[in-house]
Amino acid sequence: MVDGSKDYHQVTEDICRPVEATPSRLWWIGFLISVALLIFGIVSVTMEVMYGTGQWNLNKTIGWGWDITNFVWWVGIGHAGTLISAILLLFRQGWRTGVNRAAEAMTIFAVMCAGQFPIWHMGRVWNAFFVLPYPNTRGPLWVNFNSPLLWDVFAISTYFTVSLLFWYSGLLPDLATLRDRAKQKWRKHFYGVAAFGWTGSTKHWQRHEALSLVLAGLSTPLVLSVHTIVSFDFATSIVPGWHTTIFPPYFVAGAIFSGFAMVQTLLVVTRKVLGLEEYITLEHIEVMNKVIVLTGSIVGIAYLTELFMAWYSAVSYEEFAFFQNRLNLNSPYGWSYWLMMGCNVLSPQIFWFRKMRRNLFVTFFMSILVNIGMWFERFVIIVTSVYRDYLPSSWSTYYSPTIWEVGFYMGTFGLFFTCYFLFSKFFPVIALAEIKHILKKNGRSFKDHMDELEGESTDEFSGRHGHDHGA
Amino acid sequence: MSQKKYWQSFGEVNDSENFQKKQQDEFREELPFEGFDDKGLIDAKAPRRDFLKYLGFSTAAATLAASCKVPVRKVIPYANKPENLMPGVAKYYATTYVQDGDVVPVVAKVRDGRPIKIEGNELCSFTGGGTSARTQASVLDLYDSHRLRFPIHKTGSGKEAKYEEVPTFEQFDKLVGEAIKNAGGTTVLLTSTIVSPSTKEIIAAFPGLKHVQADAVSYSGMLLANEACGFGRKLPSYDFGAAKVIVSLGADFLGTWLSPVENAKGYATGRKIDEKNPSMSKHYQFESYLSLTGASADERFTHRPSEEGAVALELLNALTGEASTRPGIKKVAEDLKANNGAALVVSGSNDKNVQVIVNAINNAIGAYGKTIDWSKPVNYRQGIDSDFAQLLSDMEAGTVGSLLVYGANPAYTSTDAARFTAALGKVKVKVSFSERMDETTELCDFILPNHHYLESWGDAEPKAGAVSFLQPTIYPLFKTRPYQTSLLYWAGNNTDYDVYFKNYWVAKLGGEDAFNKVLQDGIKEDAAVAASAGSYSAAAVAEAVAAIGAAKKSTGTEVVLYQKTSIGTGTGATNPWLQELPDAISKATWDNYALIGLGMAKTLLGLDLVNGSEKESNNYEYFPQKPVIKLTVGKNEVELPVLVIPGMDANTIAVAVGYGRSINLGRTAAGVGKNVYPFSSYNGSTVIYHADVTAADAKKKEKIAQTQIHNSYEERIEVVRETTLATLKKYPTVIPDYRTHLESTFGKSKDGTTTDFRKEGTLYPQHDQPGIKWGMNIDMNACYGCGACVVACHAENNVPVVGKSEVLRYHDMHWLRIDRYFVSDEKDPNQLKGVVFQPMLCQHCDNAPCENVCPVAATNHSSEGINQMTYNRCIGTRYCANNCPFKVRRFNWADYTGADSFPNNQDQELVGKLDPVVFQMNDDLTRMVLNPDVTVRSRGVIEKCSFCFQRLQAAKLEAKKQDRPLKDGDAKTACQSACAANAIVFGNVHDSSSAIAKTRKENANRGFYVLEQLHVLPNVSYLAKVRNTDELIEPDTHNAAVAAEEKAGSTEKKAEEAHH
Repeated sequence: MVDGSKDYHQVTEDICRPVEATPSRLWWIGFLISVALLIFGIVSVTMEVMYGTGQWNLNKTIGWGWDITNFVWWVGIGHAGTLISAILLLFRQGWRTGVNRAAEAMTIFAVMCAGQFPIWHMGRVWNAFFVLPYPNTRGPLWVNFNSPLLWDVFAISTYFTVSLLFWYSGLLPDLATLRDRAKQKWRKHFYGVAAFGWTGSTKHWQRHEALSLVLAGLSTPLVLSVHTIVSFDFATSIVPGWHTTIFPPYFVAGAIFSGFAMVQTLLVVTRKVLGLEEYITLEHIEVMNKVIVLTGSIVGIAYLTELFMAWYSAVSYEEFAFFQNRLNLNSPYGWSYWLMMGCNVLSPQIFWFRKMRRNLFVTFFMSILVNIGMWFERFVIIVTSVYRDYLPSSWSTYYSPTIWEVGFYMGTFGLFFTCYFLFSKFFPVIALAEIKHILKKNGRSFKDHMDELEGESTDEFSGRHGHDHGA
Repeated sequence: MSQKKYWQSFGEVNDSENFQKKQQDEFREELPFEGFDDKGLIDAKAPRRDFLKYLGFSTAAATLAASCKVPVRKVIPYANKPENLMPGVAKYYATTYVQDGDVVPVVAKVRDGRPIKIEGNELCSFTGGGTSARTQASVLDLYDSHRLRFPIHKTGSGKEAKYEEVPTFEQFDKLVGEAIKNAGGTTVLLTSTIVSPSTKEIIAAFPGLKHVQADAVSYSGMLLANEACGFGRKLPSYDFGAAKVIVSLGADFLGTWLSPVENAKGYATGRKIDEKNPSMSKHYQFESYLSLTGASADERFTHRPSEEGAVALELLNALTGEASTRPGIKKVAEDLKANNGAALVVSGSNDKNVQVIVNAINNAIGAYGKTIDWSKPVNYRQGIDSDFAQLLSDMEAGTVGSLLVYGANPAYTSTDAARFTAALGKVKVKVSFSERMDETTELCDFILPNHHYLESWGDAEPKAGAVSFLQPTIYPLFKTRPYQTSLLYWAGNNTDYDVYFKNYWVAKLGGEDAFNKVLQDGIKEDAAVAASAGSYSAAAVAEAVAAIGAAKKSTGTEVVLYQKTSIGTGTGATNPWLQELPDAISKATWDNYALIGLGMAKTLLGLDLVNGSEKESNNYEYFPQKPVIKLTVGKNEVELPVLVIPGMDANTIAVAVGYGRSINLGRTAAGVGKNVYPFSSYNGSTVIYHADVTAADAKKKEKIAQTQIHNSYEERIEVVRETTLATLKKYPTVIPDYRTHLESTFGKSKDGTTTDFRKEGTLYPQHDQPGIKWGMNIDMNACYGCGACVVACHAENNVPVVGKSEVLRYHDMHWLRIDRYFVSDEKDPNQLKGVVFQPMLCQHCDNAPCENVCPVAATNHSSEGINQMTYNRCIGTRYCANNCPFKVRRFNWADYTGADSFPNNQDQELVGKLDPVVFQMNDDLTRMVLNPDVTVRSRGVIEKCSFCFQRLQAAKLEAKKQDRPLKDGDAKTACQSACAANAIVFGNVHDSSSAIAKTRKENANRGFYVLEQLHVLPNVSYLAKVRNTDELIEPDTHNAAVAAEEKAGSTEKKAEEAHH
């Protein structure tokens, strides 16, 4: 999984180069665009906090719209990182090392973005701390443990904490490498502090490995639980179209689906911009495309199951939600359902073909398409369920976002990419230490030499290698 | 022994252990912390809790310090407390709502010197404590910041006009007195209908004063017809309750015709159903557009507005057996004949000839003396159009020297306002007594604003033998004076009206005690006399028949003008609550528009909502932009957006009057709708409110702010139950069958022996309800959609007004709304079978879906069955609103009330710019209308109906003070007491003798809960809407079968048990 003739030093050089070199023009352009978006987002949120939630086009019938759609979308994206790191680590999938660092960083930034929405969507955000079960002088007044929104608070904060620890503990040896190579004083100091005094002693490595496993073990159930709990926001309600028992697995599959698509988007760009084609190889891309076609199909089956259940349950309100609000192309939001179907279920089927899986352009295009589709999945679930529910008198006029709703969403892109650009500038985007672990097993240069070795007879080989301990 | 030098007590100087302990615990009050031991916080075993505590405290402190600086407002206590005034305790004063001849006896609730709420006066026999939307809203007019505040003298004209304050009334009297003297010519007092007997005496005593009454929407036709038929120029009392068959020929008698409150009270008694012997009055409506009254009709027939005479004539002829091709005539005639003496025909026409025919019909069906009572003629409308026409030509001729105007506003309401304006220019002295700068007042030189009725003394005689009294409930807010005082002074009688009024009634009643008694009661009614049939004469019929026969027949499109219950003739246009009140039929606020039928939509606009694509009708329905049409009548052109509704006559366009007001009337009325009074015309005897019109597609769109866009209830029987009388008689359990089905399917206990849907249908434990349990029942058969309850709720609960732009964004804040569903024929959507009005408010579910989703428990359940909202705890996630199946929760999207502590947060210009009316509602004067018992919500929190919690608490407190249990009727919600039809019953359902318990028990066959299958267990029940038709609707076979099976099963079981 590492192309070219690489030895350990070369790997170090390749991966540290983007960190140590002055940022390129492309980096600056990207960074400044991101910061501009972030500022737009800050302005949008400020408007909303100052003038009230009426700055968004939500209304008496549609209480959640772009805000919670974006929340679920970002949380979904925040799944791939931990999944790649934790579950693939537990399954000993060596190929993950090329992409796990970036994916984990993406997770953390995505969860940061996701968290913005439930916070700022509150009408009185300055009282947001009411959701924390802290001792107070209000006597028996406490949070409501029956509310799925409260479960969200715990689920998201736990997930964020564990993901952050996992990511950072993985960074420690690489930060130490950067510290040791640093020439400027501030770098020495910065990476010195950041590396927590890592010396590379065997004891350190041993603890590091143990910690990685423990955190992986903690993260694995979290990957499943976070989106399960997010899905409870809807599944435990009584709104037709939300009240669906299939939601937990369907949301998790969707999350992995969208998370991988986002990883693809980022890696296809990152490997090009930072010149890391030899570390993030076509093999990586292909494996991830396989995951995309798998999860996309799972999501597709979930969609069909929902439709079947709507019919089979014979609940007229649920039938209406699915067949009229969604499936009916002539209904006001029918287009969004079909857009979702097209992007999430139909288009990923292209990845049954190996050629397509290995085509960078197709991969990039598809990853964008999947993310659009997954955004619309959440939009469809949230908006097309509530806008026409039980009482026909309350059916809503057509909902479209205001500039501040769009701005808030754009702002989270700004936050995400600002963080990502800073990360790619100051931290190694590929797990340096981990890739060295697998270099001899998976590195192209080593694999190529294997042919010669394998041509040798056992006697020859053992005669030469009997007394040394490897290269 | 301590060595203290100074000490306060022996305990201190002795310093005993006991004393030390006591001192330490001097102000001790246990906080209800769980899990702490007695040692207190500091010594707690778990110090990490301290960390959390400090964290929590510092976060809260930082938040408080950073953002929430609460503005300080000083409260000044009474230095000398006024007698009889207890701060925080409301006082009630009987008075009378009088507006241009409309009279509703009311009781004003006064808190700390401010009238804040109007209730109906229950001592009045003919309104029975009912009110209308306009009556409810009238208290807001008192605090209207656009009221004229002092006497004004206008100099110059046109753009150079200057309005100057006249410092004193003496100066004003002198100015006007001299001006009138110098003007010469006749002095004319132009008013709307005057119902005050004392005022009439003052007018009569004014030397040389000619009095002309002109009503904005005239009833001259009726007055003249009654005169021609020998009853005198009067209007009779109508008894809708005594009529078994009611036929209305275009009369909107529940909404705007004569005295809707009185009519509705009678009508509702005939519409309520006794289940043991189901019967109800039959209501036929012939009309050109779908009116509020037509919506309640059992059978409707539409016709062109110009055919109103032909319809009446054909009905008269049909009574004598003549055939008619017009649908409905034969049937109605037969029904009328069959119910001779118990039938009533009314007509909304202002054509004398039509009304003569209607009188002939009423005579033929024996209505006089039965349903029409001439012993108590009513005074609601007295204006005669020809009097005004004569005045106009006198003014043009220059013979009118001075014109005094009170109540009337011909520069806006007359058929030809330009002509009036020009004629007014020839009058030398123009005086207005208007409370506001209306279109006519703008043209006057001297303006002496009148008191608001809540500041006034006075009397009103709505009908013979009944006088309702006005007494001030607040000291006049501005430098205003009753117009009667001015008339007295200018006539040379230097008495103030309050003195005159008192002397008048003390003399009449024979003593001050009797006077005080009637003031306290508010109404004085003579002993009931037998209904009189009057003296009908058929002399005028032949002439009327000939005139109707000779009338020109129209073939093109016609326009008909109507009034909304909210705006009326235009007097409601300045009232924010009324502008925000959705129209009963169109559910539109803040606008007038052209109502057209489905057929006309297709021919005129190419908009096919019947057979067109789904996309086409969705585009019309889901976006507020509606196509605009241009209406041309003669020289007058008006462009209006359309609303397409069923039940319209195919050739008729209906437009409401009262809109398109002058900018000088203030921020509420300005820029709302268009004026269509110019479409009315004077036919030489009376004013006609319909006309031939040329309608054309204006090829553009305008937004209409509706609060409800979907018109059908989509056969969702869980939401709305409506049926016909025939069906109810044949299948009495057609409605409760659904509940039986739920009981038997989901309510079986585990062993299958008992059924209890409430208990078995849920995983949650039962709420304990030990004492009172509040419940409400709404009779959808009695509700006719007027909206009085909606406005009453606004007033009682400080519900904010959001303005058109926010209603357009679906941000209206009504806690109580009236859902309106059209029931159309399946094959022909234009063929309206009925209209259902369903007042919808928080259902106070016992198993409320909003309660369990709130992360901070801001909404919760009381032990009395009320779903409560804790505003200070609410953080505004809106999850509860999403999860409310009734969609009754309202979110404060912006700072509508100014209650927020963020400065300058109402000045957003880009998105969600607030309308001027929001600022009007927030000014210090208008805020005086707020109910101090109810929190004004800041933005960012959810609010909703509380069952008028403050009233329940007050009632309980009162009962407690009197040391007695709460009685039924002690606590009434605002909507309940506002309703003229008594459609709302409220009380303690645990008290089996309460009205609510009885109503539910006695109406078991019509009772239902909305969305009962969700098992949310609402505390608001409804009684199904029943149309009195012969149509038989076969019940849903599934439910019926299950119910029948269940019944059979239970009898079998019983038989089996008996056998054992």
